[in-house]
Amino acid sequence: MNGEIELSQVTDQLNSGILLLDLQLNIVSWNRFLAVHVNQKLEDVKGKLIFDVFPELPQRWFERKVASVIQLGTPTYCSWEQRHHLFELPHTRPITTDSHFMAQNCSFLPYEQEGKLVGICVLIEDVTDVCHYQSQLKETMKQLELANRIDGLTRIYNRKYWEEALGKEFARAQRYTSELSLIMFDLDHFKKLNDNYGHQCGDLVLIETASRVSSLLRDADVFGRYGGEEFGIVLPQTDQIGALEVAERVRAAISNSPIIFEGKKISFSASVGLATLNSEHKRYEDLISETDSALYRAKSSGRDQICILQKFNKCS
Amino acid sequence: MAYELNEDQQDCLQELINVAMGQASDQLARYLDTFVFLTVPSIDLVSGKGLSDSLETTEESMAMVSQGFFGYEGIRGEALLVYKHEDSDRIGDLLGYEPDELSVEEQLIDISSILTTTFLNVFATQIENQMSYSAPKLISEMQGKLSEHLKQLSFDWDMALKVNINYQVTDYSFNCEMVLLIPEAAIENIKTVIDRILEEY
Repeated sequence: MNGEIELSQVTDQLNSGILLLDLQLNIVSWNRFLAVHVNQKLEDVKGKLIFDVFPELPQRWFERKVASVIQLGTPTYCSWEQRHHLFELPHTRPITTDSHFMAQNCSFLPYEQEGKLVGICVLIEDVTDVCHYQSQLKETMKQLELANRIDGLTRIYNRKYWEEALGKEFARAQRYTSELSLIMFDLDHFKKLNDNYGHQCGDLVLIETASRVSSLLRDADVFGRYGGEEFGIVLPQTDQIGALEVAERVRAAISNSPIIFEGKKISFSASVGLATLNSEHKRYEDLISETDSALYRAKSSGRDQICILQKFNKCS
Repeated sequence: MAYELNEDQQDCLQELINVAMGQASDQLARYLDTFVFLTVPSIDLVSGKGLSDSLETTEESMAMVSQGFFGYEGIRGEALLVYKHEDSDRIGDLLGYEPDELSVEEQLIDISSILTTTFLNVFATQIENQMSYSAPKLISEMQGKLSEHLKQLSFDWDMALKVNINYQVTDYSFNCEMVLLIPEAAIENIKTVIDRILEEY
């Protein structure tokens, strides 16, 4: 290869737009990419104000954006992540993506001749693919995050997320010296239920329990499956009296009405332990173990009842 | 390998940066139509861990914008602009945009790019170089400590030369911090440039 190289032969094959403007924002030149995507010939747009050729541009914003290039001689950028596109151009994946216009990364660069700024070069990159995959990734991440928090069977929080939430509420209650109560309950004779009626029946009871209890709770309460047939409810801003009320409603909601499984009425109940945050609880695990002990006592006192260890020391 | 700058090199770099700061501040003042104060920079050598620690002392709740820069002679690095949340509200106003013209994210990116490229362009002229830039990227705008954001960045270096400059626009009670990081591979290159400048004097 010899002689003078005509750079436009190269720039005309780029899959990016190159747009050259003078300082009054009139179009000086563009490459083939833009001619094709705008579907106009360079001769027809040469010398025209950019806003006449691209009426979709936010004029005031654009002028201010370009002002920094002209005054400071520095480049400036516009990413699809903040602004999906500046120029309304078609893209090459109209069938396999849901985006109407080409997603773009635009760069505004100072264009100098002999050390003097004479224009602005706008580079327009097609990032429709990136944008498409990024939104798919975001959607997937959202689903994963949800799956990571939710117990597959009962659709309430799983143990890991529930315990993290308890940890946060515990720290918050300590910091602001606010009330915090914890309820844990365990379905009575659950193993027998499984043995007598099968695991499908057991699963149904678990699902029904989660659903009945969920409907009793406030948005701020955190309800999760702690293990097998054991559940936990974190009650922020709730003292012992308030928590006892909730516990009683939970107990009643579970034992008051049976479920029907294969035509048979099946009754079930739960034993409930309750504890309220006090200065003896140094870690959230201390609160869990106190609640668990109360739950154990409720079991050993005959089941289908609520037990609190501290203060009242009573079983209802 | 020792990356430390000797006393002469440190003084020279400090002086180059001071001059660049002066000119950048002047250009920014004209563009933004208000005074922009840049505080005396600190220049340190930091490790990846040291960087998170040194930035952790600053306030919680921040946004950070990153922009890469590269010039001739292997001068390259990354500029991080760090904002407190209360400052991000005033940027649009400062830049002369109408409130509904652009999002806060876009404002952060715009001001970052302006501060970074204005300063580095002037600095590049000082060392007879010319800078190119990558598009600025908002790293995180979530609530939370910056150190947590930094941990998410994959640091591909052990040591870096860190230049901290604070920008203040008192008329708009706006503050932000620019952290220029030059990774170890480029430190030798900048030392070579500094040594050449020192020889010329």
